[in-house]
Amino acid sequence: MSLLPYIFRRILQLIPTLVFILVVVFVLVRLLPGDPASALIGDRALDADVQRINHELGLDQPLPVQFLYFLKQVATGDLGNSLSLKAPVIDIVAQRLPVTILLTTMAAVIALLFAVPLAFLAALRQDGVVDTVIRGVFQVGLSMPVFYLGLVLLTVLAAGLHWFPVGGYGETFPDRVYHLFLPALTLALSLAAVLMRNLRSAIIGVLGAEYVDFARAKGLKSRLILIRHVLRNALISTVTLFGLSVGTLLGGAVITETVFAVPGAGRLMIDSIYGRDYPMVQGLTLALAVLVSLTFLLTDIVQAWLDPRVAR
Amino acid sequence: MKTVITAALAVTLLFGVSQSALAVDRGGTLAYGRYADSLFLEPVLNDGNVDIWVLSNLYDTLILPTDDGQGLRPGLATDWKVSEDGLSVTLTLRDGIKFSDGSPITVDDVKWSLERAAKPDNGIWQFLVQSIDHVETEGDKTVVIKLKKTDPAILSALTVFNTGIMPKKLFEAAAGATDAEKAKAFAEHPVSSGPFMLQSWQKGADMKLAKNPYYWDKGEDGQPLPYLDGIDFQVIPDDATRILKLQSGELQGAEFIPYARVSELKNDDNINMELFPSTRVEYVTLNVRPQLNGKDNPLSNEKFRQALNYATNKRAIIQIVTHGVGTEMTSFMSKATPLHAGDTPLYPYDIAKAKQLMSESGVPAGSELTLLTLAGNQDEVGIATALQQMWQALGVKLNIQQVDNASRTEQYRAGTFQMRLAAWTDDIADPNEITSYFAYSPTIDAIHTSWKNDEVNKLFEQSQSETDPEKRREEYARIQEIFNSTGPIVPLYETPYPVALSKKVHDFVQIPLGNNIFRSTWMSK
Repeated sequence: MSLLPYIFRRILQLIPTLVFILVVVFVLVRLLPGDPASALIGDRALDADVQRINHELGLDQPLPVQFLYFLKQVATGDLGNSLSLKAPVIDIVAQRLPVTILLTTMAAVIALLFAVPLAFLAALRQDGVVDTVIRGVFQVGLSMPVFYLGLVLLTVLAAGLHWFPVGGYGETFPDRVYHLFLPALTLALSLAAVLMRNLRSAIIGVLGAEYVDFARAKGLKSRLILIRHVLRNALISTVTLFGLSVGTLLGGAVITETVFAVPGAGRLMIDSIYGRDYPMVQGLTLALAVLVSLTFLLTDIVQAWLDPRVAR
Repeated sequence: MKTVITAALAVTLLFGVSQSALAVDRGGTLAYGRYADSLFLEPVLNDGNVDIWVLSNLYDTLILPTDDGQGLRPGLATDWKVSEDGLSVTLTLRDGIKFSDGSPITVDDVKWSLERAAKPDNGIWQFLVQSIDHVETEGDKTVVIKLKKTDPAILSALTVFNTGIMPKKLFEAAAGATDAEKAKAFAEHPVSSGPFMLQSWQKGADMKLAKNPYYWDKGEDGQPLPYLDGIDFQVIPDDATRILKLQSGELQGAEFIPYARVSELKNDDNINMELFPSTRVEYVTLNVRPQLNGKDNPLSNEKFRQALNYATNKRAIIQIVTHGVGTEMTSFMSKATPLHAGDTPLYPYDIAKAKQLMSESGVPAGSELTLLTLAGNQDEVGIATALQQMWQALGVKLNIQQVDNASRTEQYRAGTFQMRLAAWTDDIADPNEITSYFAYSPTIDAIHTSWKNDEVNKLFEQSQSETDPEKRREEYARIQEIFNSTGPIVPLYETPYPVALSKKVHDFVQIPLGNNIFRSTWMSK
C-alpha cells in the first residue's frame, strides 16, 4: 500500500495549524508588558526617542493593521527586520536555526545509540544485575538538571582532560560536530533515559507475545526474531514518544546553548523575547513551528511504515 | 670585593629583567569572552553599552580619553583651542591620517561626522553634543566647531564614541534612502578610522577585528599600532563557561567576572584578575509621587526616605552581594566622575537614627513597599532580600516583585513603580550626563521619580554653560549636597569592572566609562 495519500493529507493539515500559531504568537508577544523601543534603549529612553522608534517600526498603527501587514510580509516570504540586530529576520533565522537543528539531531542520534542497545540488554536480562545497573545510571541522568550536567561535562571533559573545546561553535562542518558533541551529549542523556525505559518495557511486553513464541517455534534464528518481530513492534510507542520529545529537546537546547556558548536559535529566542523584538520572535516561532510539525509528520510516517494500520 | 661583585651582578640582572620587560611582542589574535554580543556597531545610532564599549577600537575620535578616563590626549587632532568667548573650538588634524581602506581622513569627513552626531533626532546620544551649531573648515587641516552656547563639556564630548570619525563619501554611497538605512548598510562592511577594523561578524557568536594597517599611532618600538594582529570577541553568556574557557587557555580575556569568583581568580597563577576603576553605581530608585495607584505613597516623605537610608547596612550588602569588591558611595555619582564631591560614605548604618527619623516622619509601622527586581539577576535578588530583612527593623514590609527588563522599564517610564534596583555608568567624562538624568527634573523627571528641586535645576542650567572651572565645581558640589541629602535614592555601592586576563596579556585597559581599549595591548609569546 502506498503511503503517499496519507503524507499528502498530513501536509494539508499542517497549514491551518501554522496559521493558528502565527495568530497566537502575533497576539501573545504584544500582550507582554513593555514595548520594543523601551527594551531597546532601556532606562535612559526619552519619550521623544520612544515615539520616534515606535513610529519607525510601525508600532503606532492599530493592531489589525499591523497584523495585515505582517500577513502580507509572510505571504511574500519576508519576515521583516530584527529590531535589535538590525538585519532581516530570514537571514538571522537561516544563520541560527541550522545550528539548533544540528545540535538536536546529534542529540537525538546519540540518545538512540544509547537507548536502543541498552534497552535490549536490560529487557533481555530483566531484573538482573545488568538491568538494575542500566536503569540506575539512567535514573541519575534523568534527575540531573541539564545546565548542571553540562557544566560537569565541560569542567571534566573539556577544561580538565582537554578532549573537547570549552563551548563555542567551529568554523568547518567537522569542527562544528566536534564542538557540538558535548552539548549534544548533555541534551541526549535525559532523552536517552526516557526512551530507554519506554523501549525496555515495550520489548518485555512484546517478548511475551504469542507471535514471538510462534516465531521461535518455527525455528527462526533469535537475532532475526529480535529485529523483525520484537524491535519493530516495540518501537511503535517509542517512536511516538521520540517525536513528542523533539519539543522538549528544543526547550533543553535553550539552556544547553547558553551554557556551551552555542549560537543557536534557542538562545536567540530568549534574547528576542526579553528584547521585545516582535518580528524576530514571530519569525523564529514560525520557523520552529514548521520544524516541530515536520518532525511530527516524519514520526507519523515512520509509524505508518511500522504499523500500516495507522495510515488507514 | 664580594659585595661589589654581588651588587654588580644584581644591577646586571635587574637591568636584564627590566630590558626584557620593556620589550613588546607584536602579533597574535587575542580571544576575548564577552557576556553579550554587540547589536549595531554605529557610533551615532547605537543604543547601548554592548556597542559603545567596543566602538572605540573601530572609530577614533578627534581627542582621546586618558586611561583614567578623566584627561584628554591627542587623537585624530593634534591640538585644540577653545576661543576666548567660549563659542568655538579650533582643532588641527594630524598629518597623514587614513581610514582602514587607505583613503585619507579629510576635514570634510570630520565636519560631516560631527554635524551628523549633533543633528537633532539622530540617535539617543545627540544630547552629548547638542551645543554644536555647525562645523567650518579652514584649509585641509583645520576644523572650527561653532557652538550655539558656551559648553564646558565640549572637549570631553569630543572623546565620546558618537563623535567617532567616519568616511563621509562611503557612508553616503551606502544603500538606502535615509540616514538610518545607510547606517545599517554601512555597518555591515564598515571602513573605520580606529586601530582595528571589522573582519567578520557572526551575530550572537563571534566578532573578529583585524588591525588597521593604516593606523596613525606608533608603539614603543616606533612601528605603527596596534601590536595585536586582531581581536576575536567570542560571545559566552554563561559566566562559568567564560571562566572555564579562560582557564583552559581558549580565551586570553573574559569580562564581567561574577564578584563571587574574583578572589578565587586572584589566586590563579595563570590569570591576572583586574578590577578597573569604573563609574558604575548601584542604587535603589524611590518614586516620591504623593500618590501611587490611588494610594498614599510614604516615599514622598523625605524623613521616611532618610530613615530607610540609615537602616540600610551598605557594608553588609557590599560583603553579601559583591563579596567585598564594591565600595561605599560618597555621592550619587561615582568617585571616578569628574567634579565628584564628598569624602564620607552616604548614610552610614545607624539604626537608632533610622528609628528616630521613622517616628518623626509619621509613617506608621507596618507600611508596605514594593521593590522591582530583575528576574534571574542574582545580585538584585541578594540586595532585595537583604533590604527586606534590614527594613524589618523599622517595621517596614518589603514586597519583592521580580519582572523582566522590558516590563520594569515600562513601569519605570510610566512612573507607576514604587521602588526599583538600578545601576548606572557614565558615557562622558563629565558630571553633566548623570546629573541631567538623576537630578535635573526636565530631562526624565529625576530618574522618573518626580523628585524636583528648583535650586538644583537652576544650578544645573548654569553649569551647562559655565566657563569658569572653579564656579562650575562649586555648582556641582552644591547639586550633590542637595541631592545626596534629600534625593530619591538609596545609594548602595560602587563597583569596578572585573576583567580576568591571561598573564600573557599586557596593557589592556577598560576605562571608567566602560570602553575596552586594545590600542596598545600586546601578548607575550
